Amino acid sequence: MRIINTIRLVTMLSAGLAIQQPLHAAESSDRFVFVGYGDVKYESADVAGTDAFSARFVPIFLFSLNDKMHVEAELEVGLNEDGETETELEYADIHYFLNDNTTITAGKFLLPFGQFSANWHPSWINRSIWTPGIYGAHGSSQAMDPMLPILSDVGVAAQQVYQVGSAKVFFDVFMTNGPRSEAEHDEEEVVEDDHDIAFARLFSPTTTLDPDVDEDEHGEAFPEVEFEATSSDNNSNKAFGGRIAVAFLPSIEIGTSYYQGAYDEGGQLDIRANGIDINLISTHAILRGEYIRTETDAFVERDHEDVIDSFSRNGWFLQGTFFVGHLFEELGSTEIVIEHAQTKKVEEAERWMVGINYWLDPRSVIKVGYEDTDVADGPDDKRFAVQFSYGF
Amino acid sequence: MKNQSTINIFVLFASLFASLHVHSSEPLSGAELINNNCARCHNSRPIQEFSMSEWKVIMPHMREKAHLTGTEVQAILNFMEIAATPAKAVKVIEPVTIAVDPREVLTRYGCQGCHQVQGAGGTLGPSLDNVISDRGKAFFLRKVKEPQFNNASSAMPQMPITDEELEVLAEFLSPK
Repeated sequence: MRIINTIRLVTMLSAGLAIQQPLHAAESSDRFVFVGYGDVKYESADVAGTDAFSARFVPIFLFSLNDKMHVEAELEVGLNEDGETETELEYADIHYFLNDNTTITAGKFLLPFGQFSANWHPSWINRSIWTPGIYGAHGSSQAMDPMLPILSDVGVAAQQVYQVGSAKVFFDVFMTNGPRSEAEHDEEEVVEDDHDIAFARLFSPTTTLDPDVDEDEHGEAFPEVEFEATSSDNNSNKAFGGRIAVAFLPSIEIGTSYYQGAYDEGGQLDIRANGIDINLISTHAILRGEYIRTETDAFVERDHEDVIDSFSRNGWFLQGTFFVGHLFEELGSTEIVIEHAQTKKVEEAERWMVGINYWLDPRSVIKVGYEDTDVADGPDDKRFAVQFSYGF
Repeated sequence: MKNQSTINIFVLFASLFASLHVHSSEPLSGAELINNNCARCHNSRPIQEFSMSEWKVIMPHMREKAHLTGTEVQAILNFMEIAATPAKAVKVIEPVTIAVDPREVLTRYGCQGCHQVQGAGGTLGPSLDNVISDRGKAFFLRKVKEPQFNNASSAMPQMPITDEELEVLAEFLSPK
């Protein structure tokens, strides 16, 4: 009897679920969308001595809670050199649309400093295969020492948009956990996994045997700062900053950004960064560029006393994407990409990059690129890569 | 240092939320907004690539990325609705007058959001002023019906334009 009742109950519940399921599916399809991008790359790099294929899959999950709230998350799934699957949370945040022109964001979000991290980092868009050198190599190694290798961080942000005459004005501000001293980090925990090692390399130039002896032109030690986002903070000072931009669409967007964060445990040593970014769009070409200047505090010895001094660096990149297929129809949807980048003062380097992008459709592209980096105090690097990238 | 940082944060937030006087210009159409914003970062994606229910979830994501207002997002979605609606349905919902006005057709399908006509319009696509004299009427008709036939990465949507409207438009754009 008990078994029969149980079967009846299960049958009724199953029937109920069977009826309910299509309704739930129909409702959820209006609220949830699965998009993203991915790429397959063959790269040959001189200094790293690598010559291999690699692949990434980057799903983006979008969920509209209601008209006011929107959730988004991007994962990057890839293989490391040992064949292990690595997963990185690029961003996971919630937007609250406070009113028509104000958005509040909380979580791990793309940092609104410059334009690369927030808008140009997906591999399927009209740009070079590689991340601009001043932003680092995003998890892998590169010859150029980055200026501000932050893609995303954990905290809160706010955005406002204004139409002023024919111009649009964008305001972004943010407050995040911020950076920390790599030296502290190294002392506190042993670097074990490959990801940490790869990330540490971003700040320990391959050309320097001892990462703690990078020096500026005065022979002072240059502090090393780690920016990888975590759910902790080594001091009570939060990093903060923002971006103000003016856009005369669809042709010009010019922005200026600021970032400041304390990186030592005592909260006495800051890293400050100022940036200028430009995006010029025409029917036949896109010209993008960013300039970043950083000031990093450090304790230095003056007259047998430790005092705080600042070390400055600067760097820039300018990248042009030319739609040659618009001018010569036989070339179809072909683009030529040219980039020049420089870093100055400490770890000086200069880079030229040329590439060709061939679009199979508006979201799928085959990119071929060659990059030549001259490093002032170290071996130069040359790279060649072919990448098939797709957005979906 | 901590106090200074806190003050800086408050100043930033206060200035952000201060009530600025906004001088709005004439609202842009959905097609113009697509022309103005998508290509800032990437190729415009064909409207037919996603369903309308998917676009309604994707656009709030793009609202924050591209610094769009809620009103602008709604205008884009309205244009997408037109582009995604089959031609017959458009005729049922909004019957076209018997004497089709070519300018009305240009407006209805947002052509000048991306193309210039007589000096007015967007720049994402080429000007339409000489399209028929340069490329021929057959090219024009096929391009509207099959936008990707000559350029795989073209973002031009396949609009639900009727044959009658297309003929009127071709006549309007033909050299006089």
